[in-house]
Amino acid sequence: MNHKHTFRMLVSLFLWPLVISSSSAAAEPGFRRDVMPIFFRAGCNAGTCHGSARGKDGFMLSLFGYDAKGDYERVVTEMVGRRINTAVPEQSLLLLKATGAVPHTGGKLFTTDSEYYQTLLQWIAAGAPDDTDDVPTTAEVVLSAEQLVFDTSGASTQLTVTANASDASSRDVTKLARYFSNNESVATIDANGNVTAVGPGDTNVFARFSRFTVGAEVIVLPPAEGFNWPDPPAVNFIDELVFDRLQKLRIAPSELCDDETFLRRVTLDLAARPPTVDEYAAFMADAGPDKRATKIDQLLADDAFADYWAALWAEQLRIIGGNYAPVATHVKAADAYYQWIRRQMRTSRPLNEFVAEMVDASGSNLTNGPVNLYTMLVHKPQFDPKAFAADFSQLFLGVQIQCAECHNHPFDRWTQDDYYGFVSFFTGMKRKPGVEPRERRIYCDITAPPARHVVDGRPMPAKVLGSIDPVPAGGDPRTALAAWLTSPENELFSRNLANRIWAQLLGRGVIEPVDDVRASNPPVNGPLLDALSQRLVAANFDLRSLVRDICNSRIYQLSAKPNASNARDTRQFSHAHLRRLRADVLLDSVVAVTGVGRRFAGFPEGTRAIEYYPRESGDTEGQHFGDPFFSTFGRSSRATICACETKKEPTLSQTLHMAVGDTVRDRLGAAGEVKKLLENTISPEAMIEALYIRTLSRRPTIEESSAMRELVGDAVKDHAVYEDILWSLLNSTEFAFNH
Amino acid sequence: MLHLNRIANIATAISLSLSAGLVQAQEEKSATYDDDVALIFKRHCLQCHGESKQEAGLNLASYAGVIKGGSGGDAVVAGRSSASLIFKAITAKDPEERMPPKSDPLPEEQISLIKAWIDGGVRQSIDSKAKASPGMTFKPALGTAIDGPAAMPDNLPVVNSTKTLRPFPILALATSPRAPLAAIAGYERIDFIDPATRDIAGSLAFPEGEPHVLRFSQSGDVLMAAGGRPVQNGVVILFDVKTGQRLAKIGDETDVVIAADLAPDQRQVAIGGSGRIVKVYSTEDGSLKHSLSKHTDWITAIAFSPDGKFLATGDRVGNIHLWDAESGGVVLPLSEHKGSVTALSWHSDGQVLASCGEDGLIVWWDVTKGWPLNSKADAHPPERPPGAYGKIANGVLDASFNARGELISCGRDNTVRIWSVDGSLRQTLDLNAVSQAGKNTTKQTPNARNLSDEQSSDSSGIRILPLRCAMTFDGTTAVTGDSAGQVHSWKINSP
Repeated sequence: MNHKHTFRMLVSLFLWPLVISSSSAAAEPGFRRDVMPIFFRAGCNAGTCHGSARGKDGFMLSLFGYDAKGDYERVVTEMVGRRINTAVPEQSLLLLKATGAVPHTGGKLFTTDSEYYQTLLQWIAAGAPDDTDDVPTTAEVVLSAEQLVFDTSGASTQLTVTANASDASSRDVTKLARYFSNNESVATIDANGNVTAVGPGDTNVFARFSRFTVGAEVIVLPPAEGFNWPDPPAVNFIDELVFDRLQKLRIAPSELCDDETFLRRVTLDLAARPPTVDEYAAFMADAGPDKRATKIDQLLADDAFADYWAALWAEQLRIIGGNYAPVATHVKAADAYYQWIRRQMRTSRPLNEFVAEMVDASGSNLTNGPVNLYTMLVHKPQFDPKAFAADFSQLFLGVQIQCAECHNHPFDRWTQDDYYGFVSFFTGMKRKPGVEPRERRIYCDITAPPARHVVDGRPMPAKVLGSIDPVPAGGDPRTALAAWLTSPENELFSRNLANRIWAQLLGRGVIEPVDDVRASNPPVNGPLLDALSQRLVAANFDLRSLVRDICNSRIYQLSAKPNASNARDTRQFSHAHLRRLRADVLLDSVVAVTGVGRRFAGFPEGTRAIEYYPRESGDTEGQHFGDPFFSTFGRSSRATICACETKKEPTLSQTLHMAVGDTVRDRLGAAGEVKKLLENTISPEAMIEALYIRTLSRRPTIEESSAMRELVGDAVKDHAVYEDILWSLLNSTEFAFNH
Repeated sequence: MLHLNRIANIATAISLSLSAGLVQAQEEKSATYDDDVALIFKRHCLQCHGESKQEAGLNLASYAGVIKGGSGGDAVVAGRSSASLIFKAITAKDPEERMPPKSDPLPEEQISLIKAWIDGGVRQSIDSKAKASPGMTFKPALGTAIDGPAAMPDNLPVVNSTKTLRPFPILALATSPRAPLAAIAGYERIDFIDPATRDIAGSLAFPEGEPHVLRFSQSGDVLMAAGGRPVQNGVVILFDVKTGQRLAKIGDETDVVIAADLAPDQRQVAIGGSGRIVKVYSTEDGSLKHSLSKHTDWITAIAFSPDGKFLATGDRVGNIHLWDAESGGVVLPLSEHKGSVTALSWHSDGQVLASCGEDGLIVWWDVTKGWPLNSKADAHPPERPPGAYGKIANGVLDASFNARGELISCGRDNTVRIWSVDGSLRQTLDLNAVSQAGKNTTKQTPNARNLSDEQSSDSSGIRILPLRCAMTFDGTTAVTGDSAGQVHSWKINSP
C-alpha cells in the first residue's frame, strides 16, 4: 500500500472513529511488517543504540531486528505498561522517547506528525498485537535504478526502494530504508534516497531494508573537454573489458611499459625474484615480436612458479610447524602438508580438485598432508567448528560469514540460518591420537549433532550458503560440501579464486579487500570479474592458464607512469600499481643480487625465503613470523585468516633495517661478487651499468651514470666504492618495489 | 477510536495548563529554584545531571548541586545569565553543543524563566528561607499495638476516572492484612474492592500517573501508593484508608517509582527504580535518610522486614541485597536469581524472605544465614508449543506470603499458584481457563467500565498476563490482576 494512502486512512480514523473501528482490522499495522522497519529506519536497533549486545539504558532490541519474537517480548511484555501503554497510547514511553518528549539519550528521532509516529500510535492503539511468524517476509528488495551516470557535479536523482514479499505482494519502502554511499566524495545519498553527484569518479550507493542491502552504481563523469580516448589495441578479453570501463569513465590508460620494466615485473611476479643478468641480456637481445609472451611461458613452465604459489597457499592455509605433539600441528605434519601443496602446484592440479581434496580429507596428519586443513586453518588445541567455518568461508569464498553468528549480516545477504547451517558441516570433525605421539587422526563423527541456532536453539542441519534445504542427511556432510564448493557452477568459489589471482598480479583485487566479498563491496568492474572467473572455469581451474592471460594483457603490461586523466584513478587498472615486494620476495631478491645465501633455523642450506614457514618450539596458536626479518617487513604472522596479515606498507624500521641492518650490510662484499665483477669490467661506467642491471634490471640513465661516476672519482678499482653504490641501489625505493 | 481522540484532547489540555502555569509564575514573581527552575531541570536535565548520573560532575537535582557547579566550573553566575554555563548550554546555536543533547531546544518560556531566575539572583525559594515542607503533615502510628476494627473505606469521595482507550494493566495490587479489602491500581486511580465479589468499595485519585506499588500498613489503616510516569516523575503517596485523605507525599523522582515499601513503624519509605539507587525517605518531613547504592541495574523489588529491622531490595539482573533499615548498612547479599527479581515478600515471622524472578525461580531465603531454604526452579513451567525451540518465557511475575506463611505466585504461564508453608504446590489456578469459560471470577477495572461496549472487545489484541497476585488476610481468597486490566478472584481450597 502506498504511504499517502495509509496516511489518509489514519486521518480518517481520527475524524470518523466509530465508523472505522469496525473495519480497521485490515489497516492495522503489524509488528514485524510495519513496526520493526521503523525501529530500523530510526536507528533504534543500530549497534550503537538499543541494538548493542547489552542494549542501551536498560532497553535492548536485536541488532537490525534479527529476532522479531524477542523484540516483541522486550517491547511489549518485558515491562508491562511502561514502553507500551495500550490504555493511553500517547503516553507510551516508546513514543515519548522517540519524539523527544522525555529525555532520551538517542535524542528526538521523529515528530508526532510523521508517518512513523502515526504507525506506531495506531499499532499501540490496536493493543500492540504480535503478528505471527507466518507474516509475509521480505524476499527481495529492488532499487529503482542499477546505474546512475551524472554528467555534472551537483546533479541529483531520486531512487525508490521496493520490497517484494514472500506472498508476491510488494510495497514502496523508500521511507523505511536506510542509505549510504561507499564514497561521499563521488556521490552522496540522503535519508530519502536522493543521490547527488559530488565529484568525478565511480562508486556505489546502497539502500538497506529488512536483511537486504541493494546497491546502484554511480558514475560522475569528468568534463568531456580535453578527453580523447587513445584507442589502445586490446590483446585479449581483459583489455577489452577494462578499456570499456575506462572509456565510460573518461580515463585514458597509461602507455605500455618498456621491456626492462616488463622483464623485472613479470619475473618478480612469476618467479619471486629479480631477473638474472643473463636473463636480462637475453631478453633485451631478443628482437622477436612475441618475446614477452615467450618469456611468460618460460616462467610459467619453471618450478619456481609452482613453488611461489605453493608458498602463497601455505601462507593462506596458515602452515606452521610446532614440536609440541598434543596440538596436532607438529613440524612433521606441517612438512607433509607443504610438500603435498607443492606437488599439486608442480603437477598443475586443477585448483578445484586441489581444494576439494583438502575439504574432504580424513586420516593421519603426518601421512595425509591435505588433512591438515583441519589442524592448521585454525590453530587451536581443540577443533572449533565455528572458527573453522568462518575462516573456511573467508578463504575459499572470500565471504565473511562470522557476522551472522550473532545477528544477520548487516551489509550482506547472509543470515544466521546460513551461518549455523554452514557450521554444521564441521561439527562432527574430531581428532584422536594416532600410533605415535605426534600423530593425530582426523575424522568426521557422523553421529555428532548439528550446530544450534543462537536465537532459539533449533538444530541447523548442514546446509550450503544461500540454499534453503540442507544437504542429504547421513554420512560425512563434507563430501557434499566439497562437491558444492568446487563445482564450476559455484561462482562464489571461482570468482574468489580469480579475484585473488588477479590481485596477486595487479596489486589490487577487482573486489578489494579480496576476502571481504559482500553486497556492499561490489567489484569495481563486474564484467571483468565475471570474465576472469569464467576463464578460470573454462580452463578447468588451471592456474597457469589464467595467469598467462593476465600477464599477456596490455593492462598487466601498462606503465606505472600516470597521465593527466588517470593520475587520480586507484581502482580501475588504468596504470600499473607500485607494489612493495613481499617480505620473502624482498629477502630472496637481496640474496639473488648479492649472491650471499640466508640461513633459516630448522631448514636446510639454500632454502629460499618464500619456502620458509614458521617452525616453532611450542604450540602454534597466535602470531608466528619465524625469522625476525619477516616481522619487520610484514610477512603474514598466520595468526588470522585475514588477507591483511600480509602487510605491504613501508615502515621506518624497514628503511633503517635495509640501511644499517645485517641483511644488506653483511652481504655487500661477502661473496666477493663486486670484486669479481670489477676484475672483468673495463671501465667504471661499465661497472656502474652492471650494478644497475644486476640490482634494478635496467641501465642507468645518463644523469645517474655521470653522478655515480663522480662518486667513484679516482678510486676506479676500489671495490669498496662499488659496494657503496650497490648499497645505495639496494636501499632505493625502486628496488623495494615492483613497478 | 473515539477515545484516542479524547485522550489527545486531554493530553493537549494538560500540556497547555502546564505551560500556562509556568508563564503565570514568571509574570507574578521573579523565578526561584524550588518553584520554577527545579521543575524544568527535572524534566529535561536530571537524566544525565541528577542523583544517579552526574555527567560533567554536575548535579542539578538540588539547589546546592546547582550552586556547586560541575567539572566545567560554576553552572550559574548570579545576576549574569550571559556568563552562566547553563544558560549558554541551553541557548547554544550549534545543535552539537546545545543541551539537552540531540533534542529540540527548550521551549522559549522555559528559557526565559531560567534567564529570569539567574538574572534575579539565583534564588532558591521565594523567601529564601528553609525548604518548604512537603505540605502535609504525617504522624506515624506509633507503637505496634493493633486493635479495634480494621479500617475500611467509608464513603470515599467519588473519583472521576480518566478516560482510557482500554483498561490499564493492573501494575499493583495489595490486600489489607486485617480486613476483607484489596486495593488495585488503575490509570491515575486506585480502587478498593471486596476481594470475594470484586465490588468497588471506594476509590482514590492518583493524578501523578500510574501506581506501580501498593502496600497496606500493618494496621491496615494506611495505604502506600508509589508510582508516577515513566521518565517524567515518580512519587509516593500515603492515604488514609478510611477517609481516602492524602497523608503525605514523599519523593520527587525523575522516573516512575518501580519498587517501594512502607516501614512497619511508618516512619520511612524506601523507593527505587531506573536510577539504581534505593532511597530511604522519612515520612515525617520528607527528608532523604539514606541513598543505598550497591545495585547495578534498575531496582525492581523492595520490602521491609515485619519488625522493621531489615530492608530487602532486588534488581533487574537478579541481585538481592539485605540492608540494616536503620543505619543503611549492608547486611547480606542474596544471590541466586539469574534474571530480574520481580517481587520480595517477608514471612510474618521475619525469618524467611521469598523472592521470585524472570528466571522462573521462587526462593525461600533463610535471612539469618543468607541461604536458600527452598528453591523452586521453573515454578511456573510454560507449555512448549509443538515445534518450538529455545527458551519459552517462564518468569514468575509476583509472589507474596499471607499471614499463615503460605505463598501465592503468578507467572508468564498464565497461572496463579498457591504454595504450602513447606513449599509444596497446593493449588493451581489457570487464567486461560477462566477467560475461556467466562466464569464469574472476572471483573474489569473502573477505567474500563466507562467505555462503551464495542471497546471491551478491544482487549483481544492484548497479551493477557497475570501481573500481580495476593491472598486475603484470612487466606480464603486469591486475587490477581492482569495485563488487560481485569481482576480475578478465587476461593482457595482449604489445606
